Amino acid sequence: MGKKTCWGIIIATIIINVIMVQWTVEAYYGREYKSILIYSGVSIVSAFIALLVFLQWRKVEYK
Amino acid sequence: MTCKKKLARNQKDTNDDMINLVDNLNQEDDLKYNRRAFLKTAVGTSVALGVATIPFSVKAMLGIAEKNYERVEIAKLADLPQGDSVTFYYPTDKDPALLIHTVNGDLKAYNSACTHLMCPVFYEKTQDVLLCPCHAGYFDVNNGHPKAGPPQRELPLIEIEVDKGIVYAVGRQYRHG
Ligand code: FES
Repeated sequence: MGKKTCWGIIIATIIINVIMVQWTVEAYYGREYKSILIYSGVSIVSAFIALLVFLQWRKVEYK
Repeated sequence: MTCKKKLARNQKDTNDDMINLVDNLNQEDDLKYNRRAFLKTAVGTSVALGVATIPFSVKAMLGIAEKNYERVEIAKLADLPQGDSVTFYYPTDKDPALLIHTVNGDLKAYNSACTHLMCPVFYEKTQDVLLCPCHAGYFDVNNGHPKAGPPQRELPLIEIEVDKGIVYAVGRQYRHG
């Protein structure tokens, strides 16, 4: 995976996470427990992806 | 070109500004604020946002999910003429609620803490709306949805039941059509 792709994916995860935090809070206010778990799950997975992609980027960048 | 300044920069070991241009570059800043640092911050942001949702899911899993609702008497229908409303607490003593007999003769009940900043909402019978005086928030009395002003979410709906002239609260819904 190239460095450009890494950048793209990381920026994308930020966008996704901002949206998910917003949705999670809204679901929380609406007491929609299932949705909270889904949104929060997506957010955590996407944060994890960001981390993995970062490691990959580091490999290429500091080779 | 005989100005002294101009000449100065042609001299050996001069301190002329035009020669020492690199002085405005700060090597430390260059190492701190660069593309790599930016990407690291971006990853940090993404992870922080992801982690920020964890408390919500933990709470959801611990089941702040509401228990079964009790059936609680609110008021006698005879004591509540059209256009009147009465305050009660449901499902706990900490949840103020409003039972409204609208000018059209419908019975409606909502938790009365405004969904903006929790001010108490009251029934304004001349306009047939629920009004929050704090920041002029308006809610539709027929479905509890915000109509105007800062509130964005609907008022929690209290399900009611009328039995032998007595109004009971039997449940609550947070999201409702
Ligand atoms: S608290 Fe009700 S409008 Fe602000």
